[in-house]
Amino acid sequence: MQRVEAYPHRAKAPPRVAWEPYLLLAPGLLFLLVFVYWPLVYNLWLSLFEWNLVSPQARFVGLGNYQALLQDPLLGQLLRQSLLYLALAALGNFLLPLALALLTLQVGGRWAELYQSLLFTPTVVAVSIAALVWLYLYLPAAGPLAKAFAALGLPAPGFLADPQLALYAVSLVANWKFLGFHYLIALAGLKALPKEVLEAARVDGAVGWAFLSRVLLPLLAPTLVFLFLSALASALDYAFVPVDVMTQGGPFGQSSNLMYAVYQEAFRYFRAGMAAALAVLLTLGMAALIVGQLRLLERRGVYG
Amino acid sequence: MARRLLPHLLLWLAIGLCFLPLLYQLGLSLVPPERLFASPWPFSLPITLENYRVVLEKLPLARYAFNSLVFALGSTLGQLVLGLLAAYAFAFRRFALAELLFALFVASMLVPFVVTYLPSYLLLARLELLNTHLGLILPMLTAGYATFLLRQRFLSFPKEILEAALVDGASTLQILWRVLVPANQATLVALSITLFIGAWNQFVWPMLVASRPEMYVLTVAVQRFAGGEGANAWGPLMAASVLATLPALLLFLAFRKRILETLLEGGVRL
Repeated sequence: MQRVEAYPHRAKAPPRVAWEPYLLLAPGLLFLLVFVYWPLVYNLWLSLFEWNLVSPQARFVGLGNYQALLQDPLLGQLLRQSLLYLALAALGNFLLPLALALLTLQVGGRWAELYQSLLFTPTVVAVSIAALVWLYLYLPAAGPLAKAFAALGLPAPGFLADPQLALYAVSLVANWKFLGFHYLIALAGLKALPKEVLEAARVDGAVGWAFLSRVLLPLLAPTLVFLFLSALASALDYAFVPVDVMTQGGPFGQSSNLMYAVYQEAFRYFRAGMAAALAVLLTLGMAALIVGQLRLLERRGVYG
Repeated sequence: MARRLLPHLLLWLAIGLCFLPLLYQLGLSLVPPERLFASPWPFSLPITLENYRVVLEKLPLARYAFNSLVFALGSTLGQLVLGLLAAYAFAFRRFALAELLFALFVASMLVPFVVTYLPSYLLLARLELLNTHLGLILPMLTAGYATFLLRQRFLSFPKEILEAALVDGASTLQILWRVLVPANQATLVALSITLFIGAWNQFVWPMLVASRPEMYVLTVAVQRFAGGEGANAWGPLMAASVLATLPALLLFLAFRKRILETLLEGGVRL
């Protein structure tokens, strides 16, 4: 009480300093500029050189790195494999989490809370460590998966050693590891829907196809678009560590993708210019994906 | 009745499959070396703590855990402070360029780490910060997510209370520290734990920057062990991996309600 009277004749706050917001933002902004935005610009510059990271001299090659990249059939292979990773993420990081979230909504109450906790728990394990565990599961002949195949009387596949299978095997690890996270995001999206609809879905059991296709899905559409695109946007990132730990992109580069290739060029082959050029192309691709995503959401009137 | 039970059954099936690798991780760490491939199941008798003894003897795990702790704590605290300051400006002040600056913060979350590794690495090398704790932490201090989440929370904070504090003559920092931080404790706890676990589990950046053995964080140390002495010693390797996972797991379990609530509320806003 006493203190309010310190300003007896006005109820308004004292004037605030105009430049204060900038001062508050400065530290955070500084780190963003130095460690996020400056690297994007620096990649452009670096991509014009041939440099092995240690030699004191870098050789200017103009657009030579881009030319070499675009002529290399490897880029096409990386692109194809990256798209395959995205397609697999659409299954494992979009459809499956969505299905589990819809199931959870039908359960409700204490059980739902328990299921959320349990499904999220595996995401707490470091992905590099999880990849080691899967390395064991995938062991040829002696590993549990190979033994399971043998028990069924089937020939055990080579998993990570098989050029046809390695990418799928690696992708499964990434999808497994991040399932709980995407499940929770899906659940958050669903919970933002009008309560009555969800209640109806729960009572109905939401098994009726008519209800699903005429009521729930149209209402869900914006959420679905968002979930789908965020699953895609992070897919290559998620696969990065399992690729590095389990296959290093092999066999014969068959499990690599664009993100991993950037890393390999820089820190395995020490071709800084090539790595930067690939990073620039990757950034452009991501930007296109994100801008496309915003456009799509805008058109659907989500922000309206 | 069957209709009622079906969702439960399917969810339990999914949970079972999700947990299977974790059960193998734990089970293998308890298997006597000579019985490593004796059973295809995650657990089999007898169990032993021998693998843990071996790994604690061979690896300076305390040193690695210390590095992980400094790295994770530094990253978490730094992001919290930067996020609090920026979120305050974005939530309560109007100023020129506010929208553009906010877009910079949000868009930073979308830039994949791998395109910034090389320039960041070169910068730290030039600053002679490779193989230092500071060099590990600095590039983690991009507070886009913290800023975004906290701004969201601040926006729903009752304006009258802030006005009253301002009339009281409280400075911005006092308002942040005495009013907003206590009022948003739950969110801050959830955010801190999430950031901490995220940093604790980081692998690629620490592997690149802290490549000297005495600077290894736990994730890197486990990986190096897997590539060297532990190559076919699955028992000790899994014992090390269980020990490296335990702090993150315990933190999550202790705060799981808050973390899940915060993720569920602030995850997506459509």
